Amino acid sequence: MTGGLELRALGKRFGGVVAADDVNMSVPPGRITGLIGPNGAGKTTIVNLVTGMLSVSSGSILFDGRDITHAPAHAIARAGLARTFQNIRLMPEASILDNVMVGFHRHETSGLLAALLRLPAAARETRAMRDRAMALIGRFGLAALADHPAGGLSYGHQRRVEIMRALATDPRLILLDEPVAGMNDVESAEMAEVIRGLAAEGRAILLIEHDMRFVTGLCAHVYALDGGRLIAEGSARAVLSDPVVIEAYLGSPLDA
Amino acid sequence: MASLYNAWGPILDLYLLQLGFAFSQYLVLRAGVFSLATAALAAIGAYTAGILAVKHGVHPALGILAGTGMGTAAALVLSWPLARLRGVYQAIATLAFVQIVLSLNIWAEGLTGGAMGLMNIPRVVGTPGLLAAAVAVTYIIWAIGRTRIGRTFDVIRENEAVAVSLGVSVPRWQALAFALSGAIAGLFGALEAFHSYALDPNIFGFSFLIATLSYVVFGGRKSVLGPLVGTAVLILLPELARPLAENRVLVYGLLLILVINFLPRGVADTLLDAWHRRRLARRSAAAAEALR
Repeated sequence: MTGGLELRALGKRFGGVVAADDVNMSVPPGRITGLIGPNGAGKTTIVNLVTGMLSVSSGSILFDGRDITHAPAHAIARAGLARTFQNIRLMPEASILDNVMVGFHRHETSGLLAALLRLPAAARETRAMRDRAMALIGRFGLAALADHPAGGLSYGHQRRVEIMRALATDPRLILLDEPVAGMNDVESAEMAEVIRGLAAEGRAILLIEHDMRFVTGLCAHVYALDGGRLIAEGSARAVLSDPVVIEAYLGSPLDA
Repeated sequence: MASLYNAWGPILDLYLLQLGFAFSQYLVLRAGVFSLATAALAAIGAYTAGILAVKHGVHPALGILAGTGMGTAAALVLSWPLARLRGVYQAIATLAFVQIVLSLNIWAEGLTGGAMGLMNIPRVVGTPGLLAAAVAVTYIIWAIGRTRIGRTFDVIRENEAVAVSLGVSVPRWQALAFALSGAIAGLFGALEAFHSYALDPNIFGFSFLIATLSYVVFGGRKSVLGPLVGTAVLILLPELARPLAENRVLVYGLLLILVINFLPRGVADTLLDAWHRRRLARRSAAAAEALR
């Protein structure tokens, strides 16, 4: 296995509660990998473990062949791993442009003194980042709204801004935590196109989703999680028709 | 002209000094640190400069440099334990720090002159010196807002989890905000020492803290204009209506309650936002017109 993300026997315990147990997954570049499971299955826990927001209890995480199991969260981000949030987190009063520009943080190299005194190098860098942000916003079809505050946008557009901000870091892996939650069919179809485009650029994508139809349409390989354990993996169709998965979602059939 | 300066000169000087402290407070708030330490850092800068001048006959320029350096150093040391705290706990811890510095200044009589204050500081800083310092600091604050430092401070303040997910090392950047805030407080503390013959430890107490916080909350926490406007209004108001001056703290309290309730973003930021929205609306209307 070269490149992408690999979880090996990953485990997380909160006191006596097991939130993740012996999770083995791989997320290769250029493909969309799905992670499904009912509410409380531990999907967001996995995201938080991978991004370093939670400390790992056991097992290991490899990213592009590098061990990032115990790396601090900001170092993991700088290594090329980006995420979006289940509940949208933007700077609501700031413009779309400003929201996207902060995403370029890891590419900014002007010295602190140059920035403090706004020497030409720092001013040039700010202009360059603004141009790159505008190009990205244009690609996502929001150029006309670039100066508008992000908090006033529709739900679908806010999700796009979050993805643009993640993309600004130029990640090799993106974790999308329920990107179509609360979207209508049109918005979610547009989002599917966006995500396909990201994979086509050669990025690894881990899609955490609830919406079965959405996952079936997009993912080459799907993992199903319940109670912190993987209960099935394989092609989307095979996983969704697996009786164990159906039981996890719908509950066990009544004894006849 | 001369009589105008005689009447308004002292108020201008007061404004320029207080503006420095307001910017020191503004900077930590901008980076999402709820610190009230500006009063203590200003005291450290003022006493460093004052003691060096009075007891050791050090040149004022060196004293101002030393005051700035001590303010920065104290802030950096303080930022280390504060990185483990959030929100109101940072406020409580820094309030305790202000109280500790105040008590130490009263206790260490041999060094600081104790409750009697530190006397006979040469008065070498006048309006031009204060003006130069205020312009320099205003420029730096403006520059910070237009480079990567301001962008990073903004995202930390708005949402720490997002900042971390973009590769920001939050403790390091907040330490930077602290160090800058300490440098500005130390600088203006030292300027105050060389501007007023004597230092009384109680200048840098609770009412100083409330005043600096009021300037920023009243004016606004986002744009450079916030502290500029907030400090101007709160300094001028008691001077224009003399009876108010006797009850300065009462007036500040009332104004704060009104502003927090009705203009929570501060006077200057609210006006700027309204102007920005008007411009956007006009542009959208023009675009819609062009499409027809």
